[in-house]
Amino acid sequence: MAEISAAEQPADLLDRYRHNAGLSHGDLWLRYFELGGMDDALELEAILCGALEPSAHDREVIAHALNERFVELGGNHPVPYSESDAGRRRNKNGKT
Amino acid sequence: MGNGPTAGQAARGGGAEVTTPKDPFGEFAITVGFENASAVLAIAGEVDRFNAPELGAILDAVIERHRSVVLDLAELGFVNGWGLGVIAARASHLRRSGGTLAVRSPSALVMRLLDITGVAELVLVDSSGPPRCHLGAEQPGEIAAGLLGTGPYHLPVHVGRLTAIPADTDVVDGALRLVVALARATVGGADGASVSLRRHGHLATVAASDQTIADMDASQYATGEGPCVDASVNGRRFHAESLGTETRWPAFTPRAQALGINAILSSPLLAEDRPVGALNIYSRTAMAFAPKDQELASVFAAEASLILAGAGVDVTDEQLSSRRNEALAARRVIAQAEGVIMEREGVEADDAYAMLCDCSRTSNRPFRQWAQDVVASTKRPHLDPESEPGQSHHG
Repeated sequence: MAEISAAEQPADLLDRYRHNAGLSHGDLWLRYFELGGMDDALELEAILCGALEPSAHDREVIAHALNERFVELGGNHPVPYSESDAGRRRNKNGKT
Repeated sequence: MGNGPTAGQAARGGGAEVTTPKDPFGEFAITVGFENASAVLAIAGEVDRFNAPELGAILDAVIERHRSVVLDLAELGFVNGWGLGVIAARASHLRRSGGTLAVRSPSALVMRLLDITGVAELVLVDSSGPPRCHLGAEQPGEIAAGLLGTGPYHLPVHVGRLTAIPADTDVVDGALRLVVALARATVGGADGASVSLRRHGHLATVAASDQTIADMDASQYATGEGPCVDASVNGRRFHAESLGTETRWPAFTPRAQALGINAILSSPLLAEDRPVGALNIYSRTAMAFAPKDQELASVFAAEASLILAGAGVDVTDEQLSSRRNEALAARRVIAQAEGVIMEREGVEADDAYAMLCDCSRTSNRPFRQWAQDVVASTKRPHLDPESEPGQSHHG
């Protein structure tokens, strides 16, 4: 039986953010596509529901698409960006 | 293991219910029973990472004693990657040891998840269970329960799997004509039925049981009012019980009465949660549609919506297609901005993207606007191919 650490997030957490943002799967896909996402709508749905593992870049694009929606609704980027990308950005920003 | 005794008890049979109070999101329950030589696990609620291990433990206990296991998924609302992983692992195990894992009565959504993830290839799909209505998300579950549980009524033909058809307009129209024919034949009091869809910004009848019905729809488009128009715009059901006393559509109502129509029931069709049309049922008899018939019409509208959802973009309204064009344009600008940053900063594409993303986040400005600014910052009045790279000549 697999042990679940409390620190880990449920695989379908992204879909709950989508739901809370009031976006349909189609709406979110369009936003994701607009931001350069390469997966089709069905793949995105599978990622959101935890059935497919996104690449780090895809995870970033999905998080940003959701966060832009939350900003429109008056929120402040509640969806976490991936750690590796954030670290890489900090390094790059420090360098330039 | 905390749930060992429960799992053992379940495996010994006779029927046992296991619930997981820890799961904060779904009403999850497993009931174990037996049919002939098969153990049948009925899973209700949603399977997620919190309760997937519980499902795995119970399955393991059952598999220890039974080679033929059936998962009854009729009450399963959703299963995520964790649950699918649990099912796939047990299906593979059973297969290797000469047994079988079958799934019975999955909803269209669950079946799609099984398909996407390849789990469907590991299990036997048994669709011989009781028929299921595929209702839209907006419609209450009691409708299905009421229709299937109380009377001799069953959906005459199950058309949900038609959603697998490709997005070909002719095929979609053909499927919608089938829905119209079924609605006309089975909804009590129906003298005719039609499907209206918004295409290129205008409502059009894509399927009608006869010319009178097509004329009825056309009268509504011409006057810009009527239950069909309202259902297509507002996304909810409009029922004109008796046109003799109807006041909502003064321009249209007399035209309908002139053609002998006295009751109309229009149920919305939805694609990607947007209203895109209506299933219209007409009767010559006032008060023709009993509550049961109204719910049945909703079921057919939900089936038609599934067909539209499966068909994708071609049948949705032009607002959506213009939104899609905007997305394409924005995507192009973002790709250009990425290229500019890659060149300026000497970074890889993903890093350039992350930098744009950071700017957008810290400034609360949309990504697209940042990208436009970056692209605009490269503009020069003239670009002379003979000049040195990086220089510009002002005419």
